[in-house]
Amino acid sequence: MKVKVIIIHLLIIMVTLSCKKDYLDKTDPTKINTGLFYKDAKQVEQAVNGVYGTLQDIANDQWITNELPSDNTTIDFNPGDRGQSDRIEAFEFYTVNGNSTNLNTSYIAYYNSIYNINNTLAKMQGATGLTDSIKAVNEGQLKFIRAYLYFELTQYYGDVVLITRPLTQPSEAWTYLRESQSKVYAQIETDLKDAVTGLPIKYQAGHVGRATKGAALSLLGKVYLTEKKYADAATTLSQVLPLGYDLNNDYADAFNPQKKNGIESIFEIQYNASVDGEWSSFIYTFAPRLSAGAVTGWPQSNPGGWNIPTNDIINAYEPGDKRKDASVGLDFKSPVTGETVPYIKKYNHPHAVYGRTDDNWPVLRYSDVLLMLAEAINEQGAPTTDAYTYLNKVRHRAGLADVSGLTQQTFRDTVAHERRVELAFENWRWFDLKRTMTPDELTTFLNAYAATEKAHPTVTRQGVPYSNTDYVFSAFEALFPVPANEIIVNPKLTQTPGY
Amino acid sequence: MKKYHSILRPACITWLLLIFLAKAQAQSRQVDGTINDETGAAMQGADIIIKGSSKGVRSDPKGKFTITIPENSAVLIISHVGYVTQELPATTGSTLRITMQKNATALNDVVVIGYGTQRRREVTGSVATIDLTATKDIPAANPTRLLVGQAPGVTATQATGKPGSEFTINVRGLGSLGAGSAPLYVVDGFPVGTSLGQNFNGSDIENISILKDAVSTAIYGARGSNGVVLITTKNGKAGAPVLNVSSSYGIQNIPSNRKVKMLNGQEFAQFKKDIFMDKIRYFQNREPDINEVPLDYRYPEQTKNSTNWFDATLHDNAPFQNYYVSLSQGNSNLHSMLSAGYTRQEGILLNTKFDNLSVRGNIDGKVNDNISMGLKVNGSFATNNLAQATEGRDNIVGASLIADPRDPIYNADGSYHAYVGGHDGVFGFSNPVMSLTDIQSRQNIGQLLTNAFIEISFLKNFKFKSSLNGLLNYNSYKQFIPSYIPGENAPPPRDASETDQQINTRNYSTDQLLTYNNTFGSHRINVLLGYTAQDEKTTTLNAGGAQFPSDLTPFLGSAALKTGVNSGEYGWSLNAFFGRVNYVFAEKYLFSGSFRREGSSRFGEGVKYGNFPAVSAGWRISNEKFMSGISWLSDMKLRGSWGITGNNGIPNYGALAFMSDKNYILDNNLVRGQVVSNIPNPLLKWEKSKQLDLGVDLAAFQDKLTFTAEYYDKITSDMLLSIPLPAISGFTTYLANVGKVQNKGFEFAARYKTKVRNIGLWVSGNVSINRNKVLAINGPSDRLLAGDFYGGYNISRPGSPIGAIFGFRMLGVFKNQAEIDKSPYQDGAIPGVYKYYDADHNDTISYDTKDMVQIGNPWPKFTYGLTIGGDFKHFDWSVLINGAQGYDIYRVIEASTMNMDGVFNVLEESKQRYRNEQNPGNGRFATTNTWKWERESNSRYVYSGSHMWIRNISLGYTFNPTTPKLMFKSLRLYASGDNLFLITKYPGSNPDINNRGGINPGLDDEAYPLARTFTFGANFTF
Repeated sequence: MKVKVIIIHLLIIMVTLSCKKDYLDKTDPTKINTGLFYKDAKQVEQAVNGVYGTLQDIANDQWITNELPSDNTTIDFNPGDRGQSDRIEAFEFYTVNGNSTNLNTSYIAYYNSIYNINNTLAKMQGATGLTDSIKAVNEGQLKFIRAYLYFELTQYYGDVVLITRPLTQPSEAWTYLRESQSKVYAQIETDLKDAVTGLPIKYQAGHVGRATKGAALSLLGKVYLTEKKYADAATTLSQVLPLGYDLNNDYADAFNPQKKNGIESIFEIQYNASVDGEWSSFIYTFAPRLSAGAVTGWPQSNPGGWNIPTNDIINAYEPGDKRKDASVGLDFKSPVTGETVPYIKKYNHPHAVYGRTDDNWPVLRYSDVLLMLAEAINEQGAPTTDAYTYLNKVRHRAGLADVSGLTQQTFRDTVAHERRVELAFENWRWFDLKRTMTPDELTTFLNAYAATEKAHPTVTRQGVPYSNTDYVFSAFEALFPVPANEIIVNPKLTQTPGY
Repeated sequence: MKKYHSILRPACITWLLLIFLAKAQAQSRQVDGTINDETGAAMQGADIIIKGSSKGVRSDPKGKFTITIPENSAVLIISHVGYVTQELPATTGSTLRITMQKNATALNDVVVIGYGTQRRREVTGSVATIDLTATKDIPAANPTRLLVGQAPGVTATQATGKPGSEFTINVRGLGSLGAGSAPLYVVDGFPVGTSLGQNFNGSDIENISILKDAVSTAIYGARGSNGVVLITTKNGKAGAPVLNVSSSYGIQNIPSNRKVKMLNGQEFAQFKKDIFMDKIRYFQNREPDINEVPLDYRYPEQTKNSTNWFDATLHDNAPFQNYYVSLSQGNSNLHSMLSAGYTRQEGILLNTKFDNLSVRGNIDGKVNDNISMGLKVNGSFATNNLAQATEGRDNIVGASLIADPRDPIYNADGSYHAYVGGHDGVFGFSNPVMSLTDIQSRQNIGQLLTNAFIEISFLKNFKFKSSLNGLLNYNSYKQFIPSYIPGENAPPPRDASETDQQINTRNYSTDQLLTYNNTFGSHRINVLLGYTAQDEKTTTLNAGGAQFPSDLTPFLGSAALKTGVNSGEYGWSLNAFFGRVNYVFAEKYLFSGSFRREGSSRFGEGVKYGNFPAVSAGWRISNEKFMSGISWLSDMKLRGSWGITGNNGIPNYGALAFMSDKNYILDNNLVRGQVVSNIPNPLLKWEKSKQLDLGVDLAAFQDKLTFTAEYYDKITSDMLLSIPLPAISGFTTYLANVGKVQNKGFEFAARYKTKVRNIGLWVSGNVSINRNKVLAINGPSDRLLAGDFYGGYNISRPGSPIGAIFGFRMLGVFKNQAEIDKSPYQDGAIPGVYKYYDADHNDTISYDTKDMVQIGNPWPKFTYGLTIGGDFKHFDWSVLINGAQGYDIYRVIEASTMNMDGVFNVLEESKQRYRNEQNPGNGRFATTNTWKWERESNSRYVYSGSHMWIRNISLGYTFNPTTPKLMFKSLRLYASGDNLFLITKYPGSNPDINNRGGINPGLDDEAYPLARTFTFGANFTF
């Protein structure tokens, strides 16, 4: 029996030295498990805020896909960094292919944001303390952002994968393929109509910057305009007029960090230089490459030299247009060549800390709505008095004389020109070009622009010749290729025609 | 609790039976005896067997035994681990006095196995023991260096020459695609993890065993599938105190034939000029005017400076120092060993250094006949002076190859020429000499490693051992980059920055082991039951700063901005029950079985536990009667094993999904936001390996020759892998159990040792042949592509090896337009670019992966190690050789060192590039007129990595003074050359570089270079 006693004692020691039942239950103490989230109104609000947060990442790089391919901007050519040849430069030179890391990054960012929207929309249904009205406002914001993201995606790629609910199994991801653009537009319209219903006209203090009814209407108007549903566009956009927006007296105020979310602002991506991780840094990307502190004010800067205003747009401003000085900086000369390297001035404001600017990114402004409305009316037949009123309101603020007595075509051209300079470097030019031109017109137009830029580059290339594939635009390039990596992962996904 | 009780019950009954049997036999014919060792001490545990039968007994603690013989006289065979077996005649009633002689041959060695030891001749698994006498003169700043070429099936590769860095150890191939593939290190019974770290002093090591097959490793369950390295530290031996003092000093250099040859300043200016003029000739079809050429390189012959940046970064004759003092002593009750060691290796790159101070105290002893205790304490403090970063093109080593050679190191006033290049279209880099010298980058690692145990013997054959192991690791890191250091294409001044990091880990484990050992008749049985639990927790603290008032106060307090301030915590835990039975019958038939049930916190709810069984059997044919005629064969054993092991080398919380911060600004104020950071996989479970091992062990000519051959077949399934997910899911990867991989191969090891008069000679060699193959990838896609379009791809797909090198097959250089026209269409191709193979035969080479094929195999056909040594009178010598044959390396760095844009310095060989149809070059270098169809992943960058290293040659002289006037008993002086010669056609300096690892093997993007070291040393014994 002694044996048994000893063994039992030993086993007691062994078992007591072993552990509590939950010995193997470990979770990351620094983070919240997703299963424990979306439980109450506060957490749902944090999830909605998180979706807004993802828009910052998207806005930071959006100029690559929305402005650089257009005739508005070019690059401060860096003969010392040819690794960029097939990256950012490709968007300027029309040599984008499926291996583009920029498209890959952008594609991932858009769908990650959409995932968080879909997930929050589904999970918030079970949250406690969520009144119907708060729920409607949350849903409205998420659907507005979803519509905005899909609108951008379909401008980039045409037919895109449309996904509006969270996946239950990772394997489902392989069953989603590209949907026709019309289906995508239908979803965008549905989302925006819901957003118009659910969203308030204004928010109380502490919430300014969230998507409003005005933002949803403006975006819906833009979508209709893009679909050439001009009557719908006009009806929708005119609903923005009574909501209390107006133009700032000074054009530059729309971009002034001291005057964020002003009367002209409909929707902007918010940043704050003094909050850790929430600052913007656009000017550090846009200032001329060798400008060091000359533009940013901080001599340790090593700016990107990207998105440089072209001679073409600099010459496009009418004499006396106040917007030119607010938009383009012409005061920097390259220390190497001695030539002026222009830069975007809209997002350059003094900031207290190196590398951290306070500039918000404008997405929708009231002047955009006015010009869209003028366009939508004109496209339905001819310019009406109202159309002139909207157009001239924008011109007047810019210090330009009113226009009158135009034909439908000249009015169309005037609006297009006005949009170019009014909304310059705000990531609409590429879409406007594609929207207002047929593929053939666009091809002719861009190759003409390319020929000018090639003959007289805005920034000198210091003798480095162009490659023979540079600046050759083909009609299919109006749409981007989906990232090659996505096709490697899911071979059933089709590539954009032409690539 | 009840369950384990019932398992033990049969053992108790067996024991009662034995008592009964012993009593019953006591009435027959008896022989008594006492067994002593050479010193006269009583020997416990010697086996006494009656020849021709399988009956036997074992000596008691006083060395006494009583055996009953079947007839009046018999022959007894007396054996003991580590001693020469004797045969003696005995008659009834006689009393024998037997003195056992020590036996030095390997076969009688005790082999350290998981949770115990075993006699070499009874081992049925695959266990390799490292011969530490062969590696004693190697200047090893890290003990993993000692494994190079020493054991079959174990590859130890040095991917980087960073001072004090660990070698990469792989046991029997790459067993996993996504979880780790490093073996488990167990120090004095304490599983410290899949890395030994930098702090462990190799001089403290008594023994290294490497467990390879399933029956050896399954006892470590979920961490066994990549093999287990068991390290036992030294302890005192009975006898007078011994003081050892050893010191060595070495110098390190990079041999000139291991340096990559780049263009010098003038040649680079000429290259720039040629590029400029060739472009005008090709694109504008005219002869350029000399005055068009930018002034910077218009007259190359007037280039003022020429700097070999690689040479400039080297610290020639960098010293290596090692000092070690140990005091060991012991008597019958107490053994102890105290040691202190200091290693200091200055790096071959300027201002890099590793040093480590380690002290150890090992003590164990008997409290009484039943209780013994022991404690091992090891404290160490290591310091790394690091280069900012060394691996890859953009860092020190890569940059020192491709930086503009026309710039000087110093300006005329003696200050650094800080920004190298950065003009006339050449990449700007920080002066590598200045970066090495002026960037502070320091890591301190303090470590405390302890093992304590108490062992209770009871009921004659039972032992219970309870041990507690603890590891504390304190790792701090600080880097300060002054404002005058440029970035890549970013001239100074820049914002100075500081990064601080603290990582503190505590890991403890406890083992409760119950063992039963008995020999009765011809049966010897050894039973082990155990329970183990281990828990690790790491806390981190990070902070950074920017905007310093000057570079003189490199501390966060001076930084106007605090960046990346963060704290974190993570950890894991496991627990397991395990058991093992080793059974030997008649010294001929060997059986072993083990089982472990283990749970890990890393896996999903409901799949946390895994079962790991293993069995093996061995047959010592040489002990059979029919073999007794073959006198030259002293031992021959056939053995086989099969079992299941696991791999839990995945992230701590892989089965779970978490929210992460994604804040936003509303009304110009911070609002808190949360987004989902990953996709959970609650089904995540063990990765399991099933391994079969068949082997034969031979010993012949009085054990002078030993030979082992083995075959193994290991299939790993449910492989843990981060698999790519379509981005439309919101994420790009998730962790899942997919895929199946097979590693099978042969291993051979032989050793011959002889002594003719006073000339000793020994040779030991091994060959390992491993083939790995992906059997299935049960993911949504049946292939895994890792890497990128311009940086080399690796593909894993069924039927091919893991991570086969993948890319375009380069067929040559297009000589002219006519050749382009008649070849498959390559969009934008011009004469002088590479011509690629049209794999899908659609007459177009698409600018993606469609036309890519397997262009290399990163896995050697075989690897080998050879050690030859000898002694003559007072001299001894040894030569260590190892190598790998039949594999490919993708030399990624050449995408830069062969970059024809003129933005980097290029290989000297680039003079033979394609210029025009009349000067097509040597067919390896493309035109400078474009970049497309030149730098994509292609076979041009693939080279054979086959190589042979003469790793070490050393020569020693031992002096044993006869005059008592000298204080020491013996003195050994030696000289050795390490990393001596590399014999290879591979153009890189180190064919073991594996910059990315895992499923991205065989890519060389340059790393910290390997130095050749000459060392002199002296060992005193007092």
